Amino acid sequence: MENQEKIKVLYLDDEPNNLICFMATFRFDFTIFIAPNVKKAYEYLAEHPDINIVLADQRMPVQTGVEFFEEMRIIYPAPVRMLITAYSDIEAVIDAVNKGCIFRYIKKPWNDEDIKLAIEEAQKYYVSNSLLAAKNIELQAAYDELGKFAYSVTHDLRGPLLSVLGALELSRDMDTVEDLKEMLGMMEIALKKLDEFVKSIHEYYTLKKGISSFEQIDFKALVDDMVGLFRIAGKMENVRFDCTVNQDGVFYSDIVSLKIILNNLLSNAFKYQRKNEQNKFVELRVVVENGKAEIEVNDNGIGIHENHIDNIFKIFYRATSEQTGSGFGLYNVKDALAKVQGEIKVESSLNAGTRFKVVIPGRVNEQK
Amino acid sequence: MNFLVIDDSKLDCFIAEKIIRNTGNCTMVKSFLQASEALTYIKNAPIPQSRDTIILVDIQMPVMNGFDFVEEFEKLNPDIAHGYFVYIISSSINENDLNRVNNYSSVIQFINKPLTSNNLRQIIQSLAGNAQ
Repeated sequence: MENQEKIKVLYLDDEPNNLICFMATFRFDFTIFIAPNVKKAYEYLAEHPDINIVLADQRMPVQTGVEFFEEMRIIYPAPVRMLITAYSDIEAVIDAVNKGCIFRYIKKPWNDEDIKLAIEEAQKYYVSNSLLAAKNIELQAAYDELGKFAYSVTHDLRGPLLSVLGALELSRDMDTVEDLKEMLGMMEIALKKLDEFVKSIHEYYTLKKGISSFEQIDFKALVDDMVGLFRIAGKMENVRFDCTVNQDGVFYSDIVSLKIILNNLLSNAFKYQRKNEQNKFVELRVVVENGKAEIEVNDNGIGIHENHIDNIFKIFYRATSEQTGSGFGLYNVKDALAKVQGEIKVESSLNAGTRFKVVIPGRVNEQK
Repeated sequence: MNFLVIDDSKLDCFIAEKIIRNTGNCTMVKSFLQASEALTYIKNAPIPQSRDTIILVDIQMPVMNGFDFVEEFEKLNPDIAHGYFVYIISSSINENDLNRVNNYSSVIQFINKPLTSNNLRQIIQSLAGNAQ
């Protein structure tokens, strides 16, 4: 308790003696604000959003304590409310509970120890309430995302499967090997799409799990591995790939996040090319110096329309139907960047190309 | 019968085209990977003389989805819209999607993917039955 900041308490009473007495008694335990009228009380609440506890006397001119709480809880719902009242005011107590939603009522004349205890209890109540509220917001966000997730996943998993089923059904009535081969090729495309999708779900969960390891990164090796895989998968056909990696010094980061970022940016660059462009190219520049990595992926592909550019990092957002996209890729990139505290910028013009610039600060090596 | 297939999946367009051609009832079939292109095509086509074109439109597509397409379609000049029968064809098993289909008076029916020869035959037969 000693090290923590003192609990902030506001006390509203029209009796100056009560206020002074209250201040004198509790100023060592708590940070006390005293207000002789409602106007002053609101001023304090506006100025100090960290006042967690409000006490008010019931019998005041103009507005009673209950009336004040009734109004206050609409404007400032968070602080915990406690009413101080003479024992005889049973009606006031009932009202306070029903209308003012007060946490405690304290009878007058008060006992110092009671008030201290009540304030400490109220603080606990406040803390657990605000934790709960924060958790609720998190849960709601997770729940909304799950809804979207389930919807899109159903579609993206079923889509290719149904395509293959349709193609199978159609193949039954085919007689020539050529036709059948054509159908097989189509089925292969659908299944590859399904596989890509499952892989991006895996990436999504890897990122969500939040576990990250920090290790020494050799960008040259990382890029070579990745490009090797692209080449095998035939993603680079007819595209000139220009790649430079300049790494000066050691760099620590989360390799899984880096792979997700590089893989998605490069695979998009290869994928979203213009079909009729003679001189297709993708450029990758990695510069590591002064403890940070700058990655630039540049292409002369289809580009992104300005109407879509603000949405490309949203989950399940697809800005084009030119190619099969899952709506996961750049969302995963953004998630991965958040994990390594990186930033991304995009410049693009339609039918001209796209340039992504990523800056990632290296983690200081925490050797144990 | 003429057919317009709107689906962002090339394979699904391809399957639909094959099935449609196999029915023997097809004068013309055209596929669109983007709903907006289909809409432009419909707008620029000559005013239909009779109602003889079936539209098969997928729901989940990027940029302009199936519902967006139907909404735009319903805004078309009735003389143009009159030439078409709109069917929504989707892999969706989402209740909201299924219920939403009922909101559009221009949509005749929701069809589950994959499109099969049987499905298509039934559609054509029911349309022929209604016409008489």
